[in-house]
Amino acid sequence: MKSISLYKDKGTWLNLMHPYTKLLYIVAAISIPLIGGKLWLFGVLIAASLVLLASGKVLRSAVPLVAFSATLIIVIFLIQGLFNHANAEALFSVGPLTFYKEGVLFACRLGLNILNMLLSFAVFVLTTSPQELVDEMEKNGFSPKFGYIINSVFQILPQMMMTKDTITDAQRSRGLETEGSLGVRMKAFIPLISPVVMSSLVNTRERAIALEVRGFGRKNKKTWLEDRPKHKGDRVIGVILVLLVVLTIAGRVLGWL
Amino acid sequence: MAKIFKTKLTAATIVLIPACIGINYLGKLFASLLKLPLWLDSIGTCIGACLGGPIIGGLCGAVNNIVFGLTTGDNITLIYALTSLGIGIAVGIMARCGFMKSFPKAMLTAVVGGTAAVCISTPLNIMFWGGTTGNVWGDALFAITQAKGMSVGMGSFLDELVVDVPDKLLTLIIVYLILKGLPQKLTSLYDVNAEIERLD
Repeated sequence: MKSISLYKDKGTWLNLMHPYTKLLYIVAAISIPLIGGKLWLFGVLIAASLVLLASGKVLRSAVPLVAFSATLIIVIFLIQGLFNHANAEALFSVGPLTFYKEGVLFACRLGLNILNMLLSFAVFVLTTSPQELVDEMEKNGFSPKFGYIINSVFQILPQMMMTKDTITDAQRSRGLETEGSLGVRMKAFIPLISPVVMSSLVNTRERAIALEVRGFGRKNKKTWLEDRPKHKGDRVIGVILVLLVVLTIAGRVLGWL
Repeated sequence: MAKIFKTKLTAATIVLIPACIGINYLGKLFASLLKLPLWLDSIGTCIGACLGGPIIGGLCGAVNNIVFGLTTGDNITLIYALTSLGIGIAVGIMARCGFMKSFPKAMLTAVVGGTAAVCISTPLNIMFWGGTTGNVWGDALFAITQAKGMSVGMGSFLDELVVDVPDKLLTLIIVYLILKGLPQKLTSLYDVNAEIERLD
């Protein structure tokens, strides 16, 4: 069964790091350029994320994530470069289209922000197992019921994917057309989705009974199956990240940046 | 009025949330498989809202976006957790007020849900992407409004409106059909007004 999570255990130091430290990195990486307000800060943070990804041996897995956002960034460049209201100074022209400096600069800022966010999230997403994050949150008092909700999404989805494949094959073998004009494709949507949805909703009843029987609603203190070893660097890195954010705020207030 | 938000947090409702998140994912998957120009990623949220009420609906929406944002790396979704939350709550309130009982009423629910989505998404779109949404039709319209000199806010609002309202209409049609077909032994699990009779 294929999992939807992109996490792979490569045994690197990023895998061993505490999920909270990585979350703190996301916060720092996104907030520093936004607080600092300078374009080069985006560059520094994007480079930092790329170095981290490379050291965690997950640089290649991050490529599809960036490719996914490429269309959005291109659309932003086209629309802002051509039609931004502040446009005054022409930068270059392609055929009849003229790109303006102000719009392109604005688009650069948005595009770099998107890239920076994507890459810093990639550092977290590609190296942290969702199960681990939920476990750690539960240890800090997060409700086990909500923990179950999040964990069970990862169990239910592969099952639903299998049901979906079965039903798509079954409907096709009965002659349902899934390719062609927009009208044909629209019509195919309901016969494809409704059996899967129905069966998964009907399954929830059995799941609920199974959970109740195993004492899901009990209020006793829960124990954990795995104990995670503490990583020495967590505290040091955390302090450095917080210091960097504070430094940026100070820099902005005192006017160095 | 208090009954609108009444929520039972039993095992049945807890299990409903992941199932709804799965349904959201399926809707999005089929929409991209069939190359439909809509998202259709809130079918599960709407089902959750209709069965469990506004609180469960909102939870379905928010958890959905948080889970996918933090696992599939598509962190653009993460920001729209607010939108999903709004859709879940709006549809849940409408459903509890009886607006899912007949087909025309369900369409009204769709318009309300769509409008809620537009109102929450528009500021987010402007803040993060300068007004675009990433949907081909909506962004083409946005480009036209910007070329005509309309304000960014208005253009982005229209951009979102032409995508979200048809999207929610189709979503609620599907939800209505599915809810009609659910067996009563399942729907009775989520009925807040149900009373248990004791025979002793």
